[in-house]
Amino acid sequence: MTAATAQVDERLANIGVVRRLLVKPEFGALIGAVVVFVFFAFQSDVFRSLSGAANWLDVSSTIGIMAVPVAMLMIGGHFDLSAGVQIGTAGLATGIMTTYWGLNVYASLFMSLLLMLTIGFINGFLVTRTGLPSFIITLGMFLGLQGINLGVTKQVTNTVQVSNLDLVPGYHALDNVLGGTVSIGGTKLQIAILWWVLLTALGSWALLKTRFGNWIFATGGDPNASKNVGVPTNRTTISLFMLTSAAAWFVGNTQIVRFGTIQAQVGIGQELIFIVAAVIGGCLLTGGYGSAVGATVGALIFGMTQQGIVYAGWNSDWFKLFVGAMLLLAVLANQFVRRYAEQSRR
Amino acid sequence: MIRRVPRTSLAAVFAAAILVSACSSANSVNVQHNKAGGGSGGYKYKIAVVTHGGAGDSFWSIVKAGALQGGKDMGDKVSYQSSGDPATQSQLIDAAINQKPDGLVVSMANPEAVKAAVKRAVAAGIPVITINAGEAESKSYGALSHIGSDEGVAGQAVGSELKKNGVKNVICVVQEAGNTALEQRCAGVKATLGGTVTNLQVDNNNLPGAQQIIQAKLQQDKSVDGVVTLGAQVASVAEKAIASANSSAKLATFDLNADVAKGVVDGKLLFAVDQQPYLQGYLGVVMLTQYKSNLNVLGGGQPVLTGPTLITKANAAAVLKLAAGGTR
Amino acid sequence: MADIEVIEDKAAPGGDGDAPMLELRNVTKMFGSVISLSDISTTVRAGQVTCVLGDNGAGKSTLIKILSGVHQPDDGELLIDGEPVHLGTPREALDAGIATVFQDLAMVPLMAIWRNFFLGSEPTKGWGPFRRFDAEKAKKISRAELADMGIDIRDLDQPVGTLSGGERQSVAIARAVHFGARLLILDEPTSALGVKQAGVVLKYIVQARDKGLGVIFITHNPHHAYPVGDRFLLLKRGKSLGDFAKSEITLAELTRLMAGGAELEQLAHELERDGDSTETGALGRELLEDTKTLG
Repeated sequence: MTAATAQVDERLANIGVVRRLLVKPEFGALIGAVVVFVFFAFQSDVFRSLSGAANWLDVSSTIGIMAVPVAMLMIGGHFDLSAGVQIGTAGLATGIMTTYWGLNVYASLFMSLLLMLTIGFINGFLVTRTGLPSFIITLGMFLGLQGINLGVTKQVTNTVQVSNLDLVPGYHALDNVLGGTVSIGGTKLQIAILWWVLLTALGSWALLKTRFGNWIFATGGDPNASKNVGVPTNRTTISLFMLTSAAAWFVGNTQIVRFGTIQAQVGIGQELIFIVAAVIGGCLLTGGYGSAVGATVGALIFGMTQQGIVYAGWNSDWFKLFVGAMLLLAVLANQFVRRYAEQSRR
Repeated sequence: MIRRVPRTSLAAVFAAAILVSACSSANSVNVQHNKAGGGSGGYKYKIAVVTHGGAGDSFWSIVKAGALQGGKDMGDKVSYQSSGDPATQSQLIDAAINQKPDGLVVSMANPEAVKAAVKRAVAAGIPVITINAGEAESKSYGALSHIGSDEGVAGQAVGSELKKNGVKNVICVVQEAGNTALEQRCAGVKATLGGTVTNLQVDNNNLPGAQQIIQAKLQQDKSVDGVVTLGAQVASVAEKAIASANSSAKLATFDLNADVAKGVVDGKLLFAVDQQPYLQGYLGVVMLTQYKSNLNVLGGGQPVLTGPTLITKANAAAVLKLAAGGTR
Repeated sequence: MADIEVIEDKAAPGGDGDAPMLELRNVTKMFGSVISLSDISTTVRAGQVTCVLGDNGAGKSTLIKILSGVHQPDDGELLIDGEPVHLGTPREALDAGIATVFQDLAMVPLMAIWRNFFLGSEPTKGWGPFRRFDAEKAKKISRAELADMGIDIRDLDQPVGTLSGGERQSVAIARAVHFGARLLILDEPTSALGVKQAGVVLKYIVQARDKGLGVIFITHNPHHAYPVGDRFLLLKRGKSLGDFAKSEITLAELTRLMAGGAELEQLAHELERDGDSTETGALGRELLEDTKTLG
């Protein structure tokens, strides 16, 4: 038995490595990313230059930082349609508390984090307690926050934005951490890009290497089965929603720190883009399968596509059509690669 | 669950301690200074304002502020509704008509779509004033008067001013796809610039993305020496994009807010063209009040123009204070 | 029917004459106004198999849910080793040594075998924020445990959904055995399987029993139950038709109690047809004779 098993294992090892790589959800996305890069690199020399890369990496990072927790939530079986508008809530909260109520900017950051975690908790609590689809619950939260963001901003500021955060004491240190740039090879890279890479690494490690990650896959794949074997599905789901809100806190405050100002309607419409990035990266809409690295690659593809179209000088009236087409191609390519890999496994 | 309670209350105590120690007037840089005085008029008319403005748009927020202040000063009751979708705006007008107001203020970005509703208001004996857009159709629909600024004329003013400053190759940043007023502005610029004007689409709801797009365009095409934005919020990000792209392009914008005024003061923007949205809202309410009480009509059959007015380094500093209060 | 006495089989192998590993006494469960179980009693001993038989709607799934801690009885009690217990959650049941293999196997189809094996009880390495799921240990143990049950899976990273029905059942059983289950509850393990696969699963049940576990085997098929069972509890529409030791009842009686006459005849013919062993064929002929006598 042992000799035979050893033989079989060796055989597996040879074929296995390649197949195993292809089957990973992020691999198809990676191939897509390479294709998109090569395509636009040919169209524009600026695109493939360091300064061009700094540009599309910046776009990708703002999508990517949200796409990672959104992907983890999707693997756990849920959607958060309020992920975009929460970015606004977070930045506006910090801005108003500091520049209108006189709070120290670090205290405001702390309070807005508590606020966002509460919102995430409410989302998760409602989803697990009512059993209603997360799509519906977070849609309600999305509409509610949209109204709150605008209403409160108008009430407090009489305008539709909160500005002048760059004038408060303590701003400059904050700017270095959240909004500043790092010089690499003579080009300035937004520091958010580094945060994005770090978050991806953490997210991937949590998914693949921890108990919590196992619970995420299980809760998304079959919540009933998971509950029956003692997986704390409610706790897992609520944690994932709170994680998404914490990421929204980070992105919203990065924005108000970097620009010194934030609009009331920020983030609306972005929630679908985060979901698209996650799906490009291999996450199943039905849950139980996906990858944080994949979502990051999806965000990368989105950023390269959006900026590539501008660098290539295509007529910008047709912009949305191009973006839609490239995204569809990316998802199809990913699916094709995965099907091929899965078939050859049998 | 039981384990959690002490942790939460610890956090609450911690937070309270920070709050108590952290309040300081040095932080509140935005304390409101526009304590709008109430007027002494006691006309008590009901005025309905229905515009096509988007909810989060800084321009329309100023129109609304003007309309509401007009109501306060006249002693009228003013209601403000808006929708960017013409069909919805039509329904809002009908809803307003049902409440039998003493006057109606309407903006017509898509005159055909709201024609029927406006005519119904006129037929019901409600005096109508149009503002901001729809100047050409205003009289034929039966409105008393039109208050606004011609987009084409404003565009031409921008084009001429840029030409004066030696700008030859302009990108015109359109932040709302399909908005005819914005397209008219770009067309106006093209008419008088005497150089090249290329439109560039961005999304008003994703300003950081807009910055990246403008930056990319400037990096790609080094011959661009002028950027025109059609909204105050976009102007701020265009400013940053120009800096990041190390471009020497000159920036000008339509419409005004505090950041734009600051930019003109600092020399980051050449100028801003303002159509005084506050006046459009304010005068709409005031003119209806005067008509109802005294049958006064302003304009002599011609539109009442609120712009274009140029905000340059000369007058920007004074305007800045007012813009911060949301009235300019 | 309610007068049937519960006879404790003192001479049964593995039984020590003391308290049984698990006992249900007069258990009743209602959902709103629907009586799902009424006054059910039976026992399970270490190294023995108690079969719970009944057609659809008999209350078998409710019984399992009570035993695995998902529901609590409205009346009556559960005793483990003679002591009354209250199983409020699945976790409590697991901690008491009761492992349930549900009909859906409590397996997540998209996840790898080794991840499923340790789901809910993941081994960890390190501490604090660096606490990791010990994947190497998990893979090693699952491979060993599966081999121990005579299951040879080629690739542990395979998603469980790609295994055949019988393979999935065996992984579920091996998992339950590994996690120190003293009592194994199998919910209709053979119902969705073909004849050969069912035989394989019955073999694993016997292996678990021989390891000293108590087994509760739930099924609606008396032909699967009889060969491996030591005790039989029959349920019909929530009521107990009787709780018998193997020595007290024959397969024919069992089948007759469960089904009506017409179904009986069909069963008999079925038996005769796939009677590849003389014993089954003899049983079939015997059953046929019974049918004729019973009319």
